[in-house]
Amino acid sequence: MKILTAFAVLLAIAPLEAHHSFAAEFDIKQPVKLRGIVTGMDWINPHSWIHLDVKDASGKVISWMIEGGSPNALLRLGFNKSSLPKGSEVIVEGFRAKDGSNRAVGQFVAFADGRKLFLGGSAPGAHGDGDK
Amino acid sequence: MNISRVLIAAAALSAAAWCQNAVPLTPDGHPDLQGIWTSASVVPLERPVELKGKEFYTPQEAAENARKVLGISSWERLGVQAREHYNMSQYGLDLSQVKVASTLRTSLIIGPDGRIPPFTPEARQRLAERAARNRGHQFDGPENRPLQEQCLVYSTEGPPMLPAAYNSNLEIVQDAGHVAIVQEMIHSARVIPTDNSPHLPADIRQWSGDSRGHWEGATLVVDTTNFTARTSFRGSTENLHLTERFTRLDSGTILYEFTAEDPHTWTRPWTAQITLARIEGPLFEFACHEGNLGIANTLSAARAAEKAAAEAAPKGSK
Amino acid sequence: MIARVLGLLSIGAIASAQSPYQAPRTADGKPDLNGIWQVMNTANWNIEDHAASAGNLPQLGAIGAVPAGVGVVEGGPIPYLPEAAARRKENFAHRWTDDPEIKCYLPGVPRAAYLPYPFEIVQSRKTILFTYEYAGAVRIINMDSTKEAPIDSWMGWSNGHWEGDTLVIDVTGLNDKTWFDRAGNFHSDALHVVERYTPRGPGMLNYEARIEDPKTFSRPWKMSMILYRHQEPDARLLEFKCVEFVEELMYGHLRKKTGGKP
Repeated sequence: MKILTAFAVLLAIAPLEAHHSFAAEFDIKQPVKLRGIVTGMDWINPHSWIHLDVKDASGKVISWMIEGGSPNALLRLGFNKSSLPKGSEVIVEGFRAKDGSNRAVGQFVAFADGRKLFLGGSAPGAHGDGDK
Repeated sequence: MNISRVLIAAAALSAAAWCQNAVPLTPDGHPDLQGIWTSASVVPLERPVELKGKEFYTPQEAAENARKVLGISSWERLGVQAREHYNMSQYGLDLSQVKVASTLRTSLIIGPDGRIPPFTPEARQRLAERAARNRGHQFDGPENRPLQEQCLVYSTEGPPMLPAAYNSNLEIVQDAGHVAIVQEMIHSARVIPTDNSPHLPADIRQWSGDSRGHWEGATLVVDTTNFTARTSFRGSTENLHLTERFTRLDSGTILYEFTAEDPHTWTRPWTAQITLARIEGPLFEFACHEGNLGIANTLSAARAAEKAAAEAAPKGSK
Repeated sequence: MIARVLGLLSIGAIASAQSPYQAPRTADGKPDLNGIWQVMNTANWNIEDHAASAGNLPQLGAIGAVPAGVGVVEGGPIPYLPEAAARRKENFAHRWTDDPEIKCYLPGVPRAAYLPYPFEIVQSRKTILFTYEYAGAVRIINMDSTKEAPIDSWMGWSNGHWEGDTLVIDVTGLNDKTWFDRAGNFHSDALHVVERYTPRGPGMLNYEARIEDPKTFSRPWKMSMILYRHQEPDARLLEFKCVEFVEELMYGHLRKKTGGKP
């Protein structure tokens, strides 16, 4: 029964597979955990982007861009451009861009106090546990 | 003509017969298909081989299947892509977070088999040659990337219009003589004249072909030809010929059916039925190309990997 | 007596000249704007007066040159604030690289109305669809209720209503990434556009766009022009999915040096 479901699911995700391969862009061997201040969010497609100022070990501020999902479903739920205020402190778990730039896919994003940024998703430290 | 087609046609005819009032009409007297609809489905395009011959679930089996499909995590849904992907449900993009149309079907493709028919020998060769040419070159340049990654055309627009992992939303607007279908991804609009006027000349090919329509009773029938060779719907050539049918079943449901035919690709035509369910919307802009940092990042990553490999290679060798 | 009759006749003539054109109606009694429309001007090159001038590529000769045109801006030059005027000069100097139309980016409003490509209106009671041949740009005009834009977008957020025979569309939520023309005329994300589409004769609309943007201009201003309906039998929009024509320009530098297309 489990096998059947997984098989059916693989077929269902075929359209997503053709869209964009994150494995080509981000490096599984370079996990990142970033804590920083939101300087802006691009509510754009096909992926939204969170702009984050992160202090490195020496205290220098580096600007990161965190790739997320299409914002359209969030907008339908009532989110808007003010929903992630500048100056918010957030934590991002993800993987760094393969080309070495200060970009990462935001696998999990949350406020520093553990609250979810938008919906679903696990709090940091519960990596891969699923959602809801 | 298979049983399910007969059943659906009978349903549509009886709907038309007993109540043109149940399906509201536009001012020019045709069924009103207008509104915002989702094609999101718990059922895959092709039937799992274990279910061969079983075209329909019982209502209990359908409910159980839906519960199972919607109950898995977004990580399971991502399958092999989960490792480097963001959590979909953070953004409301998981299938369990949107309205899904109900159906008793075990697959979108109808018939005893429920699968895309075999390729013709010509198609197998063509696709094998294409794959061989691309092997090792998938990251050479932008045109080597999938059409969706280039933001050229999405499978939601097609035609045919297939449900995607998310944002499977469309809006229909009608005037006297046209039915316009707007897909959220990628903000495309097909304005289909319903006067059965002739297709474009054969020399003009389009990514989405050329669609002409007419009403058959309560059903909008749309004929699409003039595809490009690069459109390649599931491997099709520019000879792809699509017939779509739209029948409004009730206030919240449209039955969308398409038949794909290309004698240079499949051994026989094949048909799928997708239920469209009414949703509140609205559609939001999906400006794909304008926000497409992904393709640049992907190509840049490939160039960085090549550079790293070249620098790591022992001197004097390649 | 004759003078009286002539007087009455001339009054009648003036009256009929002043009575507005009565466009054919749709079934719900509104002017029928359905169809394929296009301007016959060069506003997309420059919305202000412009003489003919050379283009950017000598090998394109006359094909790549800029035609002349009388401006569509009402009442004098565009009232830029001083900083914005300087930025406009810079845009003009860099127009052959910075114009978003070069990259097949969505054109925004009102530029979409006067691109050198047709657009189609599909008019229903609660919703009016504007679909543009250029880049498949689309606008859904909400005629039913006034909603606010949750975020900015390229084609903005359109709420429409009828004032007599005029379709009035209030456009907000426009981002700051579009230009008004190929000459570098631009705006900020505070742009607020009010469009007015009014039938003026068979197959013709008066199109007016009122521009308000306190971050860029010292006062609101208007542009106006005529839209003409295509009359060819079976007139239809064709595809201009221009993304594939800009890939070399945008991503060519990321191409593998020895590799290429399959």
